[in-house]
Amino acid sequence: VGLGDMLERASQLSDKLHSLSTSLTNDLDTHFPPMGKILMPRPSMCHTASLQTPHDKDQALRVPESELLSIARALLLSWNDPLLLLASEAPTLSHPQNGAIYSKTRELQDQSNSLSSGLDRLIHKIGSSSKALSPLPLQGGDLGSDKNSRLINFYFLLSCFRRDSHKIDNFLKLLRCRAAKQDRC
Amino acid sequence: TRLSPPGKPKLTGCRSPEKETFTCWWEPGPDGGLPTSYSLYYRKENSDTVHECPDYHTAGKNSCFFNKNDTSIWVNYNITVVATNALGRNVSDPVDVDVVYIVQPHMPENVTVVVQEVDGNDPSLLVRWEPPRKADTRSGWITLVYELRVKLEKEEKWEEHFAGQQKQFNIFSPHSGEVYMVQVRCKPDHGFWSEWSSTSYVTVPDYI
Ligand code: NA
Ligand code: NA
Ligand code: NA
Repeated sequence: VGLGDMLERASQLSDKLHSLSTSLTNDLDTHFPPMGKILMPRPSMCHTASLQTPHDKDQALRVPESELLSIARALLLSWNDPLLLLASEAPTLSHPQNGAIYSKTRELQDQSNSLSSGLDRLIHKIGSSSKALSPLPLQGGDLGSDKNSRLINFYFLLSCFRRDSHKIDNFLKLLRCRAAKQDRC
Repeated sequence: TRLSPPGKPKLTGCRSPEKETFTCWWEPGPDGGLPTSYSLYYRKENSDTVHECPDYHTAGKNSCFFNKNDTSIWVNYNITVVATNALGRNVSDPVDVDVVYIVQPHMPENVTVVVQEVDGNDPSLLVRWEPPRKADTRSGWITLVYELRVKLEKEEKWEEHFAGQQKQFNIFSPHSGEVYMVQVRCKPDHGFWSEWSSTSYVTVPDYI
């Protein structure tokens, strides 16, 4: 399989991951404690916030292919355990849509695992970066005890994932266009 | 009329056409019968520094434009607007904005429609367009998909077609001797539809 096809497949998966996280956010929004958004931790509290990533186009275009790929991989692997946590908490979440939320979190896990294998194959093909980043662990392995804080922390984790999945998607789509030598972009 | 401090201004929305710049708009509240000025302030996630709007002019009245240097993505901007007159001031509710969630491109450009006649077949309409000039689709920084809508000039109902990332679309078997209207719009992979382009017209020759 050629590099172009591998990147095409990977960006389809990352696109799906981000869209799913948006759809989950919309599900949660249908029924969320009025003070929830105010009580929620700030985005700078996300466990991946300290991973150094580009913050605009000019920065992103200066990053070599192998390093962009390494950033995408570190971001994605940092979500292995937290996505497990979300899937295990979803069924007992105090939310009328928790059935749909559960099946979508399971789908997030599946897509994320497929993308993870895809990124490994891509790194094998492109070569790993000398500046390879390490994935970051989530501190604290639960969402809290009372039903409101569980819901708020679930939403918070999801909002962090939503941002990270958008980064991953954006970086992979840059790589896709570079590989295609702008044929299709 | 009694003079008073200004009413509370309201931030009405923010839009980024290409994930590289953005603009926010506000609605003034009552001015209290006095000359009232408006200032927009923002603070970026992970920083304690409050900045004032870098450019009140580029995007017109009651707006603030953030150019490339002032725009980061995957970073929350906490934004407020302050109204001030001789008797006092009033502050809007704050709004949190991450530029990735407010992307709405400008409309596609150079929309053309031509009648294509291939020997032995009925003619078809070939619609072509370009991405909005400012959207950098070539590097992959932004990915756009397109939708077009077509109708007979004499009829009411538009027919919509999804074109994906293609920048052209064929409409087969148009009605002989009729005038068609065509518009195109675009949407980023994760964002909002642009406005429809202005109408392009084409006349199908009599061929039956
Ligand atoms: Na995107
Ligand atoms: Na202005
Ligand atoms: Na910038």
